[in-house]
Amino acid sequence: MNAKMDTTDACDLRFGQVGIACVRVRRVDAAALCDELERRVRAAPQLFSRAAVVLDLSHLLDLPDDGAVDALLEAVRSAGMLPVGLAYGTSATEALAQRMGLPLIAKFRAAYEPADGGSIAPPAPAPAAPPAPRAAPAPEPILSAPASGQPLGAQRQDSPVRSGQQIYARDRDLVVTGAIANGAEVIADGSIHVYGSLRGRAMAGAQGDLKARIFVSDFRAELVAIAGHYRVFEQIPKDLEGQSVQCWLDGEKLLIAKL
Amino acid sequence: MTAEIIVVTSGKGGVGKTTTSASLATGLAIAGKKVAVIDFDVGLRNLDLIMGCERRVVYDFVNVVHGEATLKQALIKDKRHENLYVLAASQTRDKDALTQEGVEKVLDGMSEDGFDYVVCDSPAGIEKGAHLAMYFADHAVVVVNPEVSSVRDSDRILGLLASKTRRAERGDGAIKQHLLLTRYNPARVANGDMLSVKDVEEILGIDVVGVIPESEQVLAASNSGVPVILDAESPAGQAYSDTVARILGEERPLRFTDVAKKGFFQRVFGG
Repeated sequence: MNAKMDTTDACDLRFGQVGIACVRVRRVDAAALCDELERRVRAAPQLFSRAAVVLDLSHLLDLPDDGAVDALLEAVRSAGMLPVGLAYGTSATEALAQRMGLPLIAKFRAAYEPADGGSIAPPAPAPAAPPAPRAAPAPEPILSAPASGQPLGAQRQDSPVRSGQQIYARDRDLVVTGAIANGAEVIADGSIHVYGSLRGRAMAGAQGDLKARIFVSDFRAELVAIAGHYRVFEQIPKDLEGQSVQCWLDGEKLLIAKL
Repeated sequence: MTAEIIVVTSGKGGVGKTTTSASLATGLAIAGKKVAVIDFDVGLRNLDLIMGCERRVVYDFVNVVHGEATLKQALIKDKRHENLYVLAASQTRDKDALTQEGVEKVLDGMSEDGFDYVVCDSPAGIEKGAHLAMYFADHAVVVVNPEVSSVRDSDRILGLLASKTRRAERGDGAIKQHLLLTRYNPARVANGDMLSVKDVEEILGIDVVGVIPESEQVLAASNSGVPVILDAESPAGQAYSDTVARILGEERPLRFTDVAKKGFFQRVFGG
């Protein structure tokens, strides 16, 4: 048996999808970057502390020199996140990545898709992930400034959210008119409103908004979370099952009540 | 002319994909269509057994994908219907032997040969084989058993059909999804042991295209290599005939979904 094992390959090389956050740098200011990221980590430590991130320099007019990039990477590290590579950009980015000894990582599909509300995020990376909502739900850059002046309006999802799908509303509320199946996830930086049945997971206030709420017209959830505080339901309380409910945070406590 | 490509899929294994593929292909052939049915389950070849042509497999799907045989050489003509052909999977290879370009070439070749329908029998799971089976489809028949794990896997598959297929990627309009409930036992539904048609439709949010009752004839038909749809006496065979008619656009009421009422004599004398 063992002799046979020895003849097999030492490893398998496979491609797969993993969830990873992307830090889109808007200006080369290591101190400001560190402050901003520290704030995010403090707001949602479960989500961002020691989270693997990719540095995206494509939104800068000129690619910074090696020293500046080193400073930016160090800023990310000191804020408590772990930079693992550079986002794909021009050939100059490629050369830079080579000099830094960092891998280039292709941008997320979501980044290529139209900003239309109904876009479907890549399937959840790890079905075996712990129930805590820390599976890096933000497939888009985290560094975007909060809505400045103009309201974004809510993101709407009309088709059912199927098992294994993930919908993320960045910087705004999410309104779901279809059902959310077991094993599906809906995530919003704002509040979540579900007019179908919620059988999967809903996570509001994904970037730490403690005032975010979750409203559900037919409650059968596996998990609800607000700003990193979550509750799992092995058994849905009889008085809440199938009811219209509201979830909100009272200090550290996640409360749920019939509407 | 382009062939309509129908994938029969489920996510979960053992729910009746191959049985459904064989009966669906046979039913379409009976309706006068030129049909090919392809076994995508490379390495765990079964369709040829259910179709009763296992001793006539010389070349298989993988041979055609790799250009080692022509489509004409590999297609096995059904002995009962002359407009029905089977393309068997390879038993000695694995799913990695299939490539997207190769599958596309085979399906294009079938369109050129004037096939009306190509039925793709998907392997279980959501990996490469299942992905390739659904990628080019125009229609999907999602086979589901009335139990929770099968329903959840089907939900996952419905999500993949809506996002990971050529139609979805090109924005050519959604795949037409048909939900087929198999192994349905009305008596056990009445007892509360099994999910009802309504439960399944409610959880998945789409209507069923057919309900196939649990039936001993299915096993007997599989073992003898005769698709169960040809057993016109059996409820399962009749339910498959109804399903094929509905997929072709006909309207037929659902049958065999209620507990069979006992006849007068059975009621009087017990039965």
